[in-house]
Amino acid sequence: MYKKRNMLDGLAKGFTYLGALTATFFLGIILYFIMANGLGRFNLALLTSDYHAQYFNGRPLRFEACETCERPDDLSDDILYAPQYGLGLSDTRDRGGNTVIQVTYMHPDSPLHNLVNTNNLNQPVTIAIDTVITRISYTDHPTSLTRRGAASMISDLESGATIYEVSFSTVGGGIRGSLITTLILIGLTLAMVMPLGIATAIYLCELAPINRVTSTLRSLIETLTGVPSIIYGLLGISVFVPLTIRLNLTRGPSLIAGAMTLTVILLPVVIRTTEEALKTIPKDYRLASLALGANTTQTVGKVVLPNAIPGIMTAVFLAIGRIIGESAALIFVLGTAVKDQVRIQENSTSLAVHIWSMMTDEPANIELSSTIALLILIVVLILNIGVKLTVHQLKRKTG
Amino acid sequence: MHTQTDTPLPTKLPNIKASSKNRRIQDTLIKGLLLAIALLSASFIILIAVFVTTRGIIPFITDNNQLGRVDVVGFLTGRVWLGGATFISTAYGAGYLIVNTLYVVFLSLLVSFPVGVLTALFIAKIAPAALSHAMRTIVELLASIPSIVYGLVAAGVFLPWIHSLARAMGTQSSGGNSTFAVVIVLAMMSLPTITAVSEVAIRSVDKNLEHASLALGASPTQTHFKVVLAAAKSGIFAGAILAVGRALGEATAVSLVAGSSRSGPNLGLFDITATITSTMLEGMKETSGIDYDIRFSLGVLLMAVILITNFLLNFIKRKVGKIHV
Repeated sequence: MYKKRNMLDGLAKGFTYLGALTATFFLGIILYFIMANGLGRFNLALLTSDYHAQYFNGRPLRFEACETCERPDDLSDDILYAPQYGLGLSDTRDRGGNTVIQVTYMHPDSPLHNLVNTNNLNQPVTIAIDTVITRISYTDHPTSLTRRGAASMISDLESGATIYEVSFSTVGGGIRGSLITTLILIGLTLAMVMPLGIATAIYLCELAPINRVTSTLRSLIETLTGVPSIIYGLLGISVFVPLTIRLNLTRGPSLIAGAMTLTVILLPVVIRTTEEALKTIPKDYRLASLALGANTTQTVGKVVLPNAIPGIMTAVFLAIGRIIGESAALIFVLGTAVKDQVRIQENSTSLAVHIWSMMTDEPANIELSSTIALLILIVVLILNIGVKLTVHQLKRKTG
Repeated sequence: MHTQTDTPLPTKLPNIKASSKNRRIQDTLIKGLLLAIALLSASFIILIAVFVTTRGIIPFITDNNQLGRVDVVGFLTGRVWLGGATFISTAYGAGYLIVNTLYVVFLSLLVSFPVGVLTALFIAKIAPAALSHAMRTIVELLASIPSIVYGLVAAGVFLPWIHSLARAMGTQSSGGNSTFAVVIVLAMMSLPTITAVSEVAIRSVDKNLEHASLALGASPTQTHFKVVLAAAKSGIFAGAILAVGRALGEATAVSLVAGSSRSGPNLGLFDITATITSTMLEGMKETSGIDYDIRFSLGVLLMAVILITNFLLNFIKRKVGKIHV
């Protein structure tokens, strides 16, 4: 009899292990995919460079080959080198995953440092390391193209042909614009939501009479938490975008309207977190302050709020995490066009919307999306640790 | 009082009176300001209700620049999004979107509910302390991952899997974009919600119940499954309701793996699908006209579906909660 029971118990226990294993598997697969696809491209240059490549057509000023540009001894074997032009090329893949020919070495005396723009001969342009060469055409030789690879381009250059025109572009695929947009959104949103949220929490927790009106206020604010973020997007385009246009701040979807929408999304979170922090402060603190002759304003400002700072910090961390992760609402209010020059009166994309924008393009750019996702995950992880630390601090402070 | 003129009061006293009056005024002002801000915070939900609803109704009551009125009944029961021969049409049918949305959320709950509750039981009762702590961290991490990342992983990992699975089973799938993919991504996203709420519910079960069960000769595992889970069912159900509400409103992750079906209902696991939210995110390039305004109608529809589902589930919860096992 017990044997059967033990078996059934073991089976039931096994199921709970299986459940936990499934949850672990879900997290594992997310982390593995993001790391495997994103880690390789994750570097500082990605964070500081433009998304849209800039294209140039340049022509050399003088047509003689370089005589001092010999292959340096310390040059890596992977780099193919054309001594006549002092140019080192490699086959690489750009951030979109396409095969490209990239400049990996330039001799200081290389004649390709001094080119002029084909369309405007007075404008100098220059090839630098990391530039992507898309085409070199010659006056007396067939054109070298990207798809034939770096080796073919080098042998064309070495054939002694005279360069007519070099087409090249910057690398592109960077996320500087989206990163700046996200940072601006965080700044603007916090500047609006923190005062609003803290003031509301103080009113509800410290000053509000216990009556119908207060409980209605509470439930109206609480209802906001159940609203899906895509509906906030509709609120943004039907209220905040027209409002900012009316105030002559913008002419369409913008960072300002985006921050306003995020403010509404975050209000319930900030209010609830702040209220919870206020509730943990012992009543004795307030009574002591009032007994010493301070009025309510002084008590709240000088006794209650300073003690609630760890809780308010928790709210800030939660808010930042939500802003970074928000996508559906911002697609409506911020637009989906990736920008390199960010202005708060104009549309742009945050990091999360940047991912959405690339994933809905044909073909989807999974590699750069994963790199951005990795950045988002790292920040979210740091914020999580921040929340834990502040909660710990709050507990220690109030015992 | 008559001696006041002879012995003037110290000069400080009136100042104290004045300052105490000032501080009373300060209190009133600050209180008024805070009340105003609290009213502003509470007004946003009303703004949402009023503005989204008004713009959502416009396609049904105006003639939409000579395109004609959108038929309400057709909208609610239609099986084709933008039917008719031409693009110049107001034949929006969202009936199949309602069915699809409820269908994928129901299927995802079939996965996330058992897994979530078992994980919660594992964390709260069965796992050794260290393992329990690690599992809770894992669930917290899952909860903090933004939905777009879930969508990206689903698009990168599950779509190829589903595509080859469909081929192995002798059916077609549009590059993996399917009901199946939507179900998986929604199940993954609901899991942490269900687990976290269930864990709290399981932990708050009265210890005496457990002791009584153990004293009657039940094994610890029998107690966990038959007594603790039964006692915590109201809380567990609340977690499921919360998860359903979120899954119904989830947009970006779903839109990356749904495949934008234009007619339905799409009940096949490997068929492309579309939900209310994924259709709202379709073709964001246009910015005016009825094709844009119809999103607001879908938004109103989404809110109605969420409210009705919530109401029904809470009704069932009250019924189920009354039955004692």
